[in-house]
Amino acid sequence: MQRRDFLKASLAASAVAIGSSATAGVTTQPIDTRKVSTIAFPEKKPLITYSDRPPLLETPREAFTQAITPNDEFFVRWHMPEIPTHIDPDTYKININGLVKQELHISLNDLKTKFEQVEVTAVLQCGGNSRSAYKPVAGGIQWGSGAMGCAKWKGVRLRDVLNRAGLQRDAEWIGFNGMDNAAYYETPNFIREMRIDELDDHVILAYEMNGEDLPYLNGYPLRLVIPGKYSDSWVKMLSNITVTKDYQELFFMDVAYRVPDNDCECESPDEKYPRTKPITNMNVKSVIGWPTNNTVVYHNSHLVVRGVAFDDGHGIKDVLISTDDGKSWKPALLDKDANRYAFRAFRFAFKPNKYGKVNIMAKAINRLGNEQPFAHEIKWNHGGYKYNGIDVVTIEVV
Amino acid sequence: MKKIILTTILSVSALFAQVDEPVEVPYIPFEIKMGKGFDAIQANCLMCHSFGYIINQGPQSRKHWHGKVVKMVKHFKAPITDEDVEITTDYLFEHYGNGKLE
Repeated sequence: MQRRDFLKASLAASAVAIGSSATAGVTTQPIDTRKVSTIAFPEKKPLITYSDRPPLLETPREAFTQAITPNDEFFVRWHMPEIPTHIDPDTYKININGLVKQELHISLNDLKTKFEQVEVTAVLQCGGNSRSAYKPVAGGIQWGSGAMGCAKWKGVRLRDVLNRAGLQRDAEWIGFNGMDNAAYYETPNFIREMRIDELDDHVILAYEMNGEDLPYLNGYPLRLVIPGKYSDSWVKMLSNITVTKDYQELFFMDVAYRVPDNDCECESPDEKYPRTKPITNMNVKSVIGWPTNNTVVYHNSHLVVRGVAFDDGHGIKDVLISTDDGKSWKPALLDKDANRYAFRAFRFAFKPNKYGKVNIMAKAINRLGNEQPFAHEIKWNHGGYKYNGIDVVTIEVV
Repeated sequence: MKKIILTTILSVSALFAQVDEPVEVPYIPFEIKMGKGFDAIQANCLMCHSFGYIINQGPQSRKHWHGKVVKMVKHFKAPITDEDVEITTDYLFEHYGNGKLE
């Protein structure tokens, strides 16, 4: 190597070093190459499997051509390893206690017969859905886009149950605990808390999902449903509802499921933002169910691109599709709006007239006018939460 | 006839209660890398979670893995000795690291 060449090379090397020392997060499309397992979990088809203990299962992209996610394809996420393997629906009771006028122990049958029955179709999405989009790799399971689903939930209003118990005057917080347990007695339970003023009539205790009992892995026999909110508080296998005056300091409230408390909800990987806030409301998002990545189609064939879009309950106004890398956008047809908290299915007729690789992009816009950003426009956060980039699938036209 | 109706009703309700006998979550043999410190991983991590929970976190820095192990001790009260905190961190960084200390 000539001395000059060496100099050039070392300059280039130092430039790289300088470039990488000020790390900025970059965001790409989430990982979409994982295959479903060969092993099926109880009441489920084989799904993308990250863990068996606690069970962590992801729904494959193909399920998102439909507005309702089938129970046997619905994603699964537990925090604790010990989950009861048998619950007797005849003896199961949900306990309401704490700052109430009368403690209640309500059986499933009483829930189904002594309260007004209500239904809500709502999206359940993990706050870390699509986390694998974030670079550097954000902490947590590297979900693709399938840690979400939409179901029709049936149950009773939480408000009705609390009214039956009667709240004491200084009641401020409601804590929810499920029957899942840690391996060690000292490990904190997965308890979530909600301020009483966050409670509205859409919050229900659901025992039914898409017309069937809740699948065991989705929280049989009863779970909390909080439409519009990320799923971290949708406590499964609910056993206890405790009303308190003071907020209880809990790991799963104070440390997990939080984003930087600034406007962009972002931070630098080198310097985390000091204050955080809970992830709460879902942002506007869409996922293409078909075609999937690497689908091979014939030139000039008639394709129907299908997918789903949703937000936190304001409702989806438009889904726009681009097949020219975002230069132009055309509106997709939207299904009749069943419920503002539900998946809004969309479809778009597309006749590919050029050969080779083609990117199909979907961008949802809600009734507030909020629209999905491009993946690269999304700024990094340490937990890899709330990704909602424009979805892109790449097909091959032959 | 009454008897037949009754059996039908009973079998229908048994079907409806989908969890009428203990369910079994299958064991998945996640392929985890062998190497120095693996014994400590087996002894300290498997009690609470599968290997899948480890290998699906993506490649991380040494500081990140150390933070994860410390979180298990501090927040989840896992009884991991100080020595094993270091051994498991080294193992995780060597096999599931991104090459960066921080």
